[in-house]
Amino acid sequence: MDFDLSVIADHWRFLGYGVGVTIVLAAASGAASLALGLGIALARMFGPRWLRVPLVFYIDSMRAVPVLVVLVWTFFALPMLTGLTMPPFAAALIGLSVHLAAYAAEIVRAGVESVRPGQTRASLALGMSRAQILRRIVLPQAIVRMLPAFGSLLSVTIKDTAIASVIAVPELMRQSETLAGQSFQPIEVYSFAMLVYFLLLFPVTRGVDRLYRRVAHLGRS
Amino acid sequence: MSSERAAAAAAKILRYRGVTKRYGDFAALNGVDLDVHAGEVVCLIGPSGSGKSTLLRCTNALEAIDGGEIEFEGSALPREEAALRAVRRRMGMVFQSFELFPHLTALENVAEGPRTVLRAVREEAQRRAHAMLAKVGLSDKSASYPSALSGGQQQRVAIARALAMEPDVMLFDEPTSALDPETIGEVLSVMKALADEGMTMVVVTHEMSFARRVGDWVAVFDAGRIVEQGPPKQIFEAPTTERTRDFLSHLGWPA
Amino acid sequence: MTFDWSVVADHRAALVAATGTTILLTIATMAIAVPCGIVVAAVRLYAWPPLRAIAAAYVELFRNLPLILVVYWAFYVLPIATGLGLSPFATGLAALALNVTAYNAETFRAGLGSIRRGQLEAAMALGMSRRQALRRVILPQAVRRILPVLASTWVSLFKDTSLVSVIAVGELAYVAMQIRAQTFRVLEMLTAMAVIYWLLGYPQAKLVDWIQRRYAVTE
Repeated sequence: MDFDLSVIADHWRFLGYGVGVTIVLAAASGAASLALGLGIALARMFGPRWLRVPLVFYIDSMRAVPVLVVLVWTFFALPMLTGLTMPPFAAALIGLSVHLAAYAAEIVRAGVESVRPGQTRASLALGMSRAQILRRIVLPQAIVRMLPAFGSLLSVTIKDTAIASVIAVPELMRQSETLAGQSFQPIEVYSFAMLVYFLLLFPVTRGVDRLYRRVAHLGRS
Repeated sequence: MSSERAAAAAAKILRYRGVTKRYGDFAALNGVDLDVHAGEVVCLIGPSGSGKSTLLRCTNALEAIDGGEIEFEGSALPREEAALRAVRRRMGMVFQSFELFPHLTALENVAEGPRTVLRAVREEAQRRAHAMLAKVGLSDKSASYPSALSGGQQQRVAIARALAMEPDVMLFDEPTSALDPETIGEVLSVMKALADEGMTMVVVTHEMSFARRVGDWVAVFDAGRIVEQGPPKQIFEAPTTERTRDFLSHLGWPA
Repeated sequence: MTFDWSVVADHRAALVAATGTTILLTIATMAIAVPCGIVVAAVRLYAWPPLRAIAAAYVELFRNLPLILVVYWAFYVLPIATGLGLSPFATGLAALALNVTAYNAETFRAGLGSIRRGQLEAAMALGMSRRQALRRVILPQAVRRILPVLASTWVSLFKDTSLVSVIAVGELAYVAMQIRAQTFRVLEMLTAMAVIYWLLGYPQAKLVDWIQRRYAVTE
């Protein structure tokens, strides 16, 4: 078995484009799912009663269905319902964000609940409003506890962008598939892809491990 | 107490000679000489980090010493694992953090030693466990899990667990340091009752009144060695060294 | 645009069989990945240092790769590496097993390591041997910590089986999308696929919640 890396060198722009799309997709869906997840968590915890059931249903449903299914449905089936066509990147962005927001919402909820209730009571006694308490006392403490879990979620986000290859988003996985097919050198191409993903993900998981250790001693305040 | 002590004076349960122990560059024990006679209650006091707990943990070989010797009932502590286990069976240890097994009830905790180590039959182990729990006043809690017990109750169960092995000496490593003030008393009464029965005890403690009332011998530790040792009357009322006086005055003793 | 949902009923036999394949794949993967995970965790904790490094590298590698890439890579590399002509099912199983073993190894290692040292000391102070302490004190506690995480890994695995569809393994995602391609009933088949996964996945997610509540560790 000879290992000819020239195929990588010859097509570095093509593959590099894929890496770029991966990073942009991960960052964009990461940010969107964060914002959406925060909103969902706050709505669930502090919003009107009737919202709770549908929100919990949505969160649990996203835990039940694979990412592949969500992406494929968003790209192929949703346009049939709405009548709008969607470019692959947009479908991937929407699908990933909606799926990951459920996990983000759970992380926010766990983080907020882990702050001792005494903190809220003390703030109320000082005369603060609920909104002030949330913003100035609870959330800042909760965020520290949430960081490791969000780090994990970022890692998952980057890995899930690779699934977007199934709906033809030109991220790294898709570019690798195309190149592997054209060059008949799948081993070299996929090995290179593995290296790139590893280099992207390793710092994130390492950072998460460190964060978990730092936060471990916090427990419940 | 003193007549019993005189009679048993010849029987040395534990003998420490020139014991040293290092952790890297740090000398936790710097040459410790101490005798513990049968039926005696020896209290080890001193500032944190002075080596008291380390000496206790070296006694039942949870840690290995680097120099000097420790003799238990006339023979040096063995090196071989199986022989060490046999020695440990004859010593009971009570930890600051109780270390009850959380997946077992109080009864099962106390019965665990006899069952697993002494290979007693279940009925015999349970009978012994019931007896020990009654001894520490917790018969009604035998079916409770540690998470349902207060700190003082957990520590009493821990004492019962050690007693179920019928040890020749009981080692207490700061038994009340992790307890709320209300529950310290119940643990100290159990320890005093044990002492009155003639159990040989080595107690690392910050409870000076316990050392004064119940102790037969007090050793003051500082920086890995014993700076002064003697009967409680001497240590607490007429200490002979500067370090002892400093330590006691820092604690506000006499209160 | 008209929707014809009868296509789902017409192909129900194929869908049921495909669901069976999904479930079989999940069970088979766990059957391999649990014992292998224990072995890898044990090597990481107790073996000779060079072996520990290899085990650690293996775990780090698979924690940091997308599973879909591992599936493709296995498809091309395994036949050459092993010299065998492996079926897509076997390849998919191998890729899943490699991935989940790594996660399990980490779970077992963390579970075992989270037991306080004092527990081992208390057991030894009673005169127990290391093996007795492990069996009677450490492992029962470790199992309580490991079980909820393992349950969570199971549900993730169940969803991840959908990824082996890319190498034409006949599990639910692949079969559903094949039927879609043949009948052109896109919305109906894709929705049916989502609903079937939901019907299987939702109870599993709830079960995991229950397990996590029941085995919550209070120190």
